[in-house]
Amino acid sequence: MINGRVSIMDSDQELIELVNKGDADAFEAIYRRYRDWVYHLAWRFTGNRQDALDVLQETFTYLLGKFPGFSLTASMTTFLYPVVKHISLTVRSKNRRFTGDEELLGEIAAPILKESHSSRSELAAVLAILPDEQREVLLMRFVDDMSLQEIAAALSIPVGTVKSRLHHALQKLRDDRRTKDYFLE
Amino acid sequence: MSEETKHFYEDLDMRVSQKFSEDLNILFKPHFSIPPEVDRAIMDRAHQQFTQKHWSHRILRHISIWRIAAAAAVIIFAFSLNLTQKPGPATNQSFLVGARAVDIDRNGRVDILDAFKLARYVESAERTEKKWDVNGDGLVNSNDVDLVASAAVRLDKGVL
Repeated sequence: MINGRVSIMDSDQELIELVNKGDADAFEAIYRRYRDWVYHLAWRFTGNRQDALDVLQETFTYLLGKFPGFSLTASMTTFLYPVVKHISLTVRSKNRRFTGDEELLGEIAAPILKESHSSRSELAAVLAILPDEQREVLLMRFVDDMSLQEIAAALSIPVGTVKSRLHHALQKLRDDRRTKDYFLE
Repeated sequence: MSEETKHFYEDLDMRVSQKFSEDLNILFKPHFSIPPEVDRAIMDRAHQQFTQKHWSHRILRHISIWRIAAAAAVIIFAFSLNLTQKPGPATNQSFLVGARAVDIDRNGRVDILDAFKLARYVESAERTEKKWDVNGDGLVNSNDVDLVASAAVRLDKGVL
């Protein structure tokens, strides 16, 4: 923060402090910082571009409604993850485009699966057979780039459970001949 | 051993190739960008919320709930002491030291009902008048409500 003005170097906490004082530029800085993250996550949950854009708008409208008086007790992604997930599932069930995660995953990975015998299509196929909770943790770690502590806080589960789910997911990928090459010896 | 009770004290083996992360990102990140009109819609909503009038109303609403609660507590305390049986004297203009008495409801006396009325006006931001700036700080806000409320109770109690 330079002379009370928004800077791209500001931490999330500093930006939130400014938004609590009514600084619209600080809110825009938060939006620019997290919009792609939110959009990608929403797309993963909904499997549909229009729905993901709706979720993006609703998520930031929800965040906007938290001001003034908003205080961040964890990281921003930890705060946003359950919000995006909840809104996405609501939008998804409202539109009834999908009935299950497996179908959703198939929908997301469909263009990739058309590529014959690519390693990505095989990765998608193995991921599709992982239990939902293991796949979720795996993607939070390697796609959303969240730490184990952030994942635990976002899902309201102990860090030990996160480690356990991640361990089992990675083990299945390691054991599968289609995906074992992704792992270092 | 259940998943919840099983703990991994040793570090998880998360050694994966760079290609693993790259392929996951290709699989699970959309390849289309966010249209500018979506950005605009969200920012317009934000700017609308942060416009002065709207924002001060939200801040007032955020803080005044505590002020109103405090004023209500004072009122309940006063009534619980049964201090209001005796008809109050006409307003003593000197009841607020360094401040001005305000007869909000114009009934000829300043009492707890004035505090209530002022609190309602502040809460709704419906209308305020400069003369209601009881503490003379240039603002009509919940501090003035507190002052009127406590002064009204003190009047009833006959301290002044």
